[in-house]
This record gives sequence, structure tokens and C-alpha cells, in this order.
Amino acid sequence: MGPDFQLFLQQLLNGLTIGMVYALIALGYTMVYGIIQLINFAHGEIFMVGAYLGLTAIGIAALLGAAVPWWAVIIFVFLFAAAGSALLGGLIEKTAYKPLRGSPKLTALITSIGVSFFLQNAVMLIYGAREQNVPEILPAKQWDVAGISISLIQLVIFGVSVSLMVFLTWFIKNTRMGKAMRALSENPEAARLVGIPVNRVIRTTFMMGSALASVAGVLFALNYGSVNFHDGYLAGLKAFTAAVFGGIGSIPGAMLGGILLGVFEGLGAGYLSSEWKDVFAFLILVIVLIFKPSGMLGENVPEKV
Amino acid sequence: MREKNNFYKFILVRLPAIRYTLYAFLFLAFIFSQSNLFANEDTVSIGVVAPLTGDQAYIGIGVRQGAQMAIEDSNVKGPVFGDSKLKLIALDDQHNPTQAVLAANKLIADPEVLGVVGHFNSSCTKAASSIYHEARLVQVTPASTNPEISRQGFDTFFRVCATDDVQAPAAADFALHKLGVKKIVIVDDQTTYGKGLANEFEKKFKAMGGVVLRHDGITQGEKDFTPLLTKIKSLSPELIFYGGVYPELALLLKQSKKIGLGATWLGGDGIFDVTLIKLASPELAQGVYSTMLGVDPHSLPQAQDFVSRYEARYGEIGSFSAYAYDATNALIESIRRAGKKDRQAVLEQMRLTKDFAGVLGTLNFDSKGDAIGKSVGIFKVEDGKFKFIEEVKPA
Amino acid sequence: MSPKKFKFAFLFIAILLFPVFDRNAYHMDLATNVALYGLLAMGLNVVVGFAGLLNLGYAAFFGIGAYTYALLNLYCHWPFWLGLPAAGLVSMFFGFLIGIPSIRVRGDYLAITTLGFGEIVRIVFNNWDEVTGGPNGLLGIARPSIGSWHFSVNATPYFYLVFILVVLTAFFLYRISDSKIGRALVAIREDELAASCMGIPTLQVKLIAFGISSFIAGLAGCIFAAKQTIITPDSFDFVLSVLILAMVVLGGMGNLWGAVLGAVVLGALPELLREFAAYRMLIFGLLMILMMIFRPQGILGGSLIKRELAKRQKDETDATA
Repeated sequence: MGPDFQLFLQQLLNGLTIGMVYALIALGYTMVYGIIQLINFAHGEIFMVGAYLGLTAIGIAALLGAAVPWWAVIIFVFLFAAAGSALLGGLIEKTAYKPLRGSPKLTALITSIGVSFFLQNAVMLIYGAREQNVPEILPAKQWDVAGISISLIQLVIFGVSVSLMVFLTWFIKNTRMGKAMRALSENPEAARLVGIPVNRVIRTTFMMGSALASVAGVLFALNYGSVNFHDGYLAGLKAFTAAVFGGIGSIPGAMLGGILLGVFEGLGAGYLSSEWKDVFAFLILVIVLIFKPSGMLGENVPEKV
Repeated sequence: MREKNNFYKFILVRLPAIRYTLYAFLFLAFIFSQSNLFANEDTVSIGVVAPLTGDQAYIGIGVRQGAQMAIEDSNVKGPVFGDSKLKLIALDDQHNPTQAVLAANKLIADPEVLGVVGHFNSSCTKAASSIYHEARLVQVTPASTNPEISRQGFDTFFRVCATDDVQAPAAADFALHKLGVKKIVIVDDQTTYGKGLANEFEKKFKAMGGVVLRHDGITQGEKDFTPLLTKIKSLSPELIFYGGVYPELALLLKQSKKIGLGATWLGGDGIFDVTLIKLASPELAQGVYSTMLGVDPHSLPQAQDFVSRYEARYGEIGSFSAYAYDATNALIESIRRAGKKDRQAVLEQMRLTKDFAGVLGTLNFDSKGDAIGKSVGIFKVEDGKFKFIEEVKPA
Repeated sequence: MSPKKFKFAFLFIAILLFPVFDRNAYHMDLATNVALYGLLAMGLNVVVGFAGLLNLGYAAFFGIGAYTYALLNLYCHWPFWLGLPAAGLVSMFFGFLIGIPSIRVRGDYLAITTLGFGEIVRIVFNNWDEVTGGPNGLLGIARPSIGSWHFSVNATPYFYLVFILVVLTAFFLYRISDSKIGRALVAIREDELAASCMGIPTLQVKLIAFGISSFIAGLAGCIFAAKQTIITPDSFDFVLSVLILAMVVLGGMGNLWGAVLGAVVLGALPELLREFAAYRMLIFGLLMILMMIFRPQGILGGSLIKRELAKRQKDETDATA
């Protein structure tokens, strides 16, 4: 294995890591979109709030002292952030989006932009405008596998993301709530008629999407060691792109889209130019959409006559 | 349908009071925004404009706080003339030139305003400077380093910090002759500040005979730079020059460590902030070099009082708080000397400023309004602190 | 004169006389910015409101107009009055370009294509240092002049210039919305397949919509460049695209004056909220949510079709009476 190939594998791994995080955020976009056709621009901010909640949870855990092992702290941090964000997601849905059901699609889109402004500035006022340091709670372990270095946090990112994706796929497929979600995205009117509690299903979708985004936020914060109230903007934009790329509304599509976007970015920055990598990413996106107008895995809904 | 009886309908139908409160609130906001209505003979104001919301708020807030302290110090001393108390009008430009022009117009329209401390970003300072020039209003920027601004020939423009054409050559000279590095990589954050500094550095470094292996950019606000760093590692440079601000550098340092890239880092004033060391950890920040316009206020005897009062009140001092403090004080002194509510008189006094004793040193302006003899300090992070290495006087 | 026409005339004269009574430089600058937003919102409304195509990269066309004039002026010394149509045309060319994917790409997929286009344009402005000056932007752009009289820092002449363009654009769009093309656009928005079955050349009509819309943005960009005399890439970011979209939706999609009204509200609101300092954008976000919840159809919104049908019914009863 030549050094060039090793470099390539290393870059691929770097791209996959960030792609996993994009995929987790993209899942929330796609779930909400699948059910109420809303592009929830505030989703990126939920991701950011999740990261800050994680930071708060680390602070709480630190109060308990060093007696707690690191894996227990991690689990507590994830649960705290996920629960907090789920509540926030549900609250936003109830106050900002539910009154607009049945209004034009774009109305809710604009509301979500308002929510996004609100959350960003609320976090800035609460936590301050400066970049916050995230204490390292993971041991800084690193392994060399065939010349490629893999860190513990990378393994955590892979582990958590993959298990969440597997769980979500199982949930959508097998549980009553999952079936209700699918029914609702298939045909809302019919779903209502067969007695599916539409409001509850929508609320649950928002809460699950928010929890996923907040887990992504915590992973992000742990990996990069700092959080900023402005982080949700770029990550949200990227994840939205990933969701559309994979076919918005499609859950495997969001996963694939996120991972591919991460890999494109990694390889683009590694082999071409970091300055122009976003241009490559968007050009690929536009070209793919011209050939596959509903994204990689999106359903090609035939036009009804 | 019962769905329709929602929370909001309830508010609208049952509680018109809330609706009227909202209208009244908007109306009051409108009234208050018309500050002229409350024009007070006895008030003299200084405007400060910087990004106070948005992603650069952390730095703009530091500027505002520095100016605020100068104003309060002055009011303790007594009125600037007659019974006139000084007031600070802080405006947010969100580092957007359009907003900057709007803020500038708001300040010139207010007859109470006798001078402006701002703006922060070079693009904003540049866009607003023609507005102030037209209105004969003094503008002192505490932080915009782009040399183009003072070349416009506006006599209302002043700057208390050094320009990029002082900072970049100093950094290039230091890298080549003191550190003795030949092959380097340049990374910038693609902003007016970062890229401007990096381009200037590249020009000077090449002219002095150095080799730039690669010049690449990162996006401000992004977090993952491992692909770029992995590529840089394969070029094995002796030094990496970074044009940008500290939050991204902290990430660059951490990720360099992860992939085993061991080059020395050198940056401009944008990385000179103790938060860098906190974010990156003292171990990883160890050995990072930074140029700074002037010197560290912590190391100056005459700044001790200001620094301790600032930190007691607001916490950690921002990179440009001391500059804002000096800029505001120089302006206040000109207002005192002018002794009347007259912009032209304040401007004339400002131009006559001679040997003003600021906390960062003695201040004089050249004919373009740039501070004379502003030196550049070279600092190195050692044991969790920026340690002063040497001072470079402009050629 | 009917009462409606009278109201219009009154408003028209009030706006025309506004700079005479209010000589505050800040108010004039704000009014000019708001009028520019109004022009942009009207332009975006053609694509979003009339044709029902979501465009998330509209700021790019504004930017292309601004950079076109700036470059023509700085490198070829074109005067403003030549630069204005050139900026519109160049921007229109890119509008056609971005319209092409709409042959196949629909709905939100088209939205992300336009978003991608907007980001690409901004990054090119930022990275192509040799031509666009990179993040430093271009400075020293000439202000317009009429004969020997030059525009200055004072925003008032710009206000009149933009106001005239707003009125002309409104008239033009009003005529369009009543023409074959306007009806074709609405037909496409309501049901594209049915429209094409009726023999409407959907692609051409969509391209025309994109073309008109980006032409207007190009004009606005040119005036913006001439007013600021310095332009930087960060003036044309995604946030601006979103803000203009919010103006269109808040004002009432598909309504000609709604877009302008939305621009007035969302353009002036952040300024009214200045007194709240750090809380300003927080309150702005909150008010945006509340406004949409209280007026989901927009301030002047309402279905064009319903209004059209009501009008036709009235015409018919008038005719039979």
C-alpha cells in the first residue's frame, strides 16, 4: 500500500466522520419534510442548542466529581441533550408550526426562519457571544491501523451514528408510531380517516428529529472541542443540502446524502482546494439533480393526470 | 373543527389587550428610535459602531465596553464643557457594509453626536468613511487595519492601530530572519481581514526570498479542517502562516495534533486573544507566534489600572478593548479642547492631537490620519500566556 | 377618480414629497434601502409568487448586477446609465442559466439548485481575487451623474431613482400579470401538467419568469453598487436571499404591492428595534413568527385565482345588467 493510497484512505475516513454527523442532522430535515413538507430552517439551530445542552450537561457531571467513569458521563450528556432538545422541538412545533397547518407551505418556512433567528440570539444572550470551550471527557486515545490513524472520538461518532440509524430504520418499519408516520407521509387525509392521531404523530416526528440533531450537536462539540452560537447555520445548510441530495423525505436517502457530502468535501479539500470545495460540492449536487431530479434515493413520483 | 380554537386565536379574540400592547410596543419602539425627539441641550454623544450581534459579536462587544469605560471615566472627571454630559450611542453593523452605512447615516443625522469610534471591520469602516467625511464628523477606527482606507484622502478619518502594510512585513521578516524558515504554507479564512493580511504576508515573504508551498483558504465558521491539514502535512512545511481569527486557529491546532502535523504557527493580531489558549489548551497553543499591533496591555505599566478595572467589571479583556478605550479618550480630549458642540471644531482639534498619552502608548497621527510609529509586537505562547518577544518598528 | 385610485395618488404624492419634509440623512438612507428591498422583493415575487418556483439564491442576481456595473465602471469606465441596463442584462443571462435545470428539477429540489447557485456565485466573488478583489471587494465605483450634476453621499437622489424604478417595475409587472404570460405563469403554478396539456410552453414561460426576475435584481444591484461605491461579497449572502423571500411571503405571495409592503415592514423593523441593542435580532425573530401566525396568507395575501374569479363574475353581472 503506497503512501498516496494511505493518504487517500485517511482523507476518506475524515470525510466519513463528518458525513456521519451531517447524516444525523439530515435525518431530522427529511423526517419533518416527509410528513408535513416543511423545510425546517430552524433545524440547524436545534443542532446548535443540542451542543450547548451537552456543554451544560458536562458542567453538571463535573459537579459530581471524578468518581464517574467517562462512558457514564457520555451517556448522561447524550440523554440530557436529547431530552432537552426533544422538549424544545415539541414546544416549537406546538407554538410556531401547528397554528400554520393548512397554510401555504412557504408560510411555515418563513416562520422557521424566525425561529432560527430567535434561537440563535437566545443562545448568544444566555451563553455569551464568545466561543465556548468544551472540556475533554473522552480519553484522547488513537490507534494506527495500516498507517491510518483512528481516534476514539471517531469510533464514538461511527458507533453512535450507525446505531441511531439502525434504530431509526427499525422504528419506522416496525413500531405503531413508525407505521403511523409512514401512513401520514403517504396520505395525510386517509391517515386521519383511519384514526391516526395526526397531531401526536407530527409532534413525535419533530421531537425525534430534534433529539437526533442534538446528538449530532454533542458529537460535534466533543470532536471539535468548542461550540459557538453560530454553528447551526453552516451545519444546517450542509445537512439540508445532504437531505435534498439523497432525496428529501427518504430516510436512507438522508443517510447516504450526508455521508456522500462529507466524503466529497473531505476529498475536495484534500485533493483540489479548500477554498473551492463548496463550489465542487454544489456543482455535483446540481449535476446529480439534473440527472436524478428527485435526489439519489428519492421517490420519483409520477405525475398524475 | 376544534383544531381552530388554538392558543393564538384565544389571544386574539379573548385578549385584545395583548394585541394592543403589541401595537403600543411597536409604536413606542418607533418613538424611541427617533432619538432627535429627545434631543437634550446638555448631552454630547460619541457613537461606537461594531458588530454587536451575529458571529463576530464577541469582538464588537469588547470594543463597545472599552468605549463605555472611557465615557464613564470622562463623566467622573466632569462635563466636557458647560453642563454637557457625555453619552455613548452604540450601534450594531453586523459586519455588513450596508448596515454600516445605515448606522453612519443615523449618527450624522443626530446633532448630539460629535465623533465616532468605529467601525471594526475594514469593509465597514471603508464604506462608512465617505458618509462621515461629508458630514465633517470625526471617525476613529480602533481596529480596521486595511491600508486602503486612509489612502482615500478623507481628513475626518483616524486610526489608532497599525495597518497591514506594517504588520505583514514585520511578520515576514521575523519568520525568515529570526525563525530562519524558508518553506511555508499560508492558510487564510477568506475574510477581508484574514485574506488581506495573508496576501500581504505572501508578497513580502516571497520578495524576501522565501518559498510559499501553498496558499489555501478555509471558511470562517466551519469546524473540520482535517482534509486540508492532512494535505499540508504531506508538503511538510517548516511554518504555517495563518491569516484569520482565533476560534478557527484553535481548531486548526487541535486537528494538527490529531494528524501529527508538527509545524510552527504564526498569525496576526486576530489570533492574539487568551481565549485561543483556553480553547486549544495551553499545551497545544505552546509555541504559537503572533504579531500584535502594539503590545499586550497586560505588560504595560500605564495600562494596569485600565486592565484591572476592565477585567473586574466585564471579565476577560477583548483584543481591541484597549484600542477602543484609547480611541475614545483621544476623541473626548478633542471635544474638551473644542469646548463647543461643533463638529468642525472637534475635527480641527483632533487633527492637532499631539503626544496623546493612551494606555497603549503615546499617540500621534500622520497627515492621512494613521497613528504614527505604531509598532508591531511579536509574541509567543509560553505556559498558557502570550509572552512578549520583540518589538518591530515600522520601516 | 375612484376612491382606490385616489388613495394610490395620495400615497404616491406622499412618498414623492417625503424627502422634502424629512431631511434626516438616516431616514433617507433607510428609505432608499427599503425601496431597494422593495424592488428586489417585486422581482423575486415574479418567480416565487407568480410562477410558484422557490428561489433561494436571489441575492446572487443582485450581486451579479452590482459586480457587473462595478467592473464595467472600474475597468472600462462605463457611466452609470450605460451600466444600469448592462447589469440587468448580464443578470438576466444568469437567470436564464439557472432556469434551465427547471426543465427537470421541480419544487424543493429546484430551491436547493438555486441555493447552490447563490453560494457558488458568492464564493466566486470571494475567491477570484484578480478580478473581483476577493473579500476586499471593489471600491471607488462611480456615482451616477445627470449632465454636469453628480450624485453625492446624500441618499435623496438615489431614493427618487429607486422609487421611479419601483413604479415602472410595478406598472410593467401589472401589465405582465394581465397578459398571456402572466396567466400562463399562474397556470403553471396551480398545475404544471394541466398547463402544458393546454398548450402552454412551460419551459419558455418559466425561463421568462426567471429572466424578468433576475433582470430586476440586476438593476437593483447596479444602483446598490453606485450608492455604496464599494461592494464586498458578504453583502450578497444567503441571509439576504432568505430575507427577501420573507418579504415576499410576509407581504402576500403573488400580490404586486404585497412584496413592497413586506419590504417596508422587514426592512424598517430591525431599525425600529435598534433601541433593544443585543435583544434586537431576538425580537426580530419573534415578531417574524407572530406576523406569520396572525397573517398566514401574508399582509395583502389572498388567492389570485379567487380574486380573478370574483372579478369575472362581477364583469358578467355587469354585462347582463
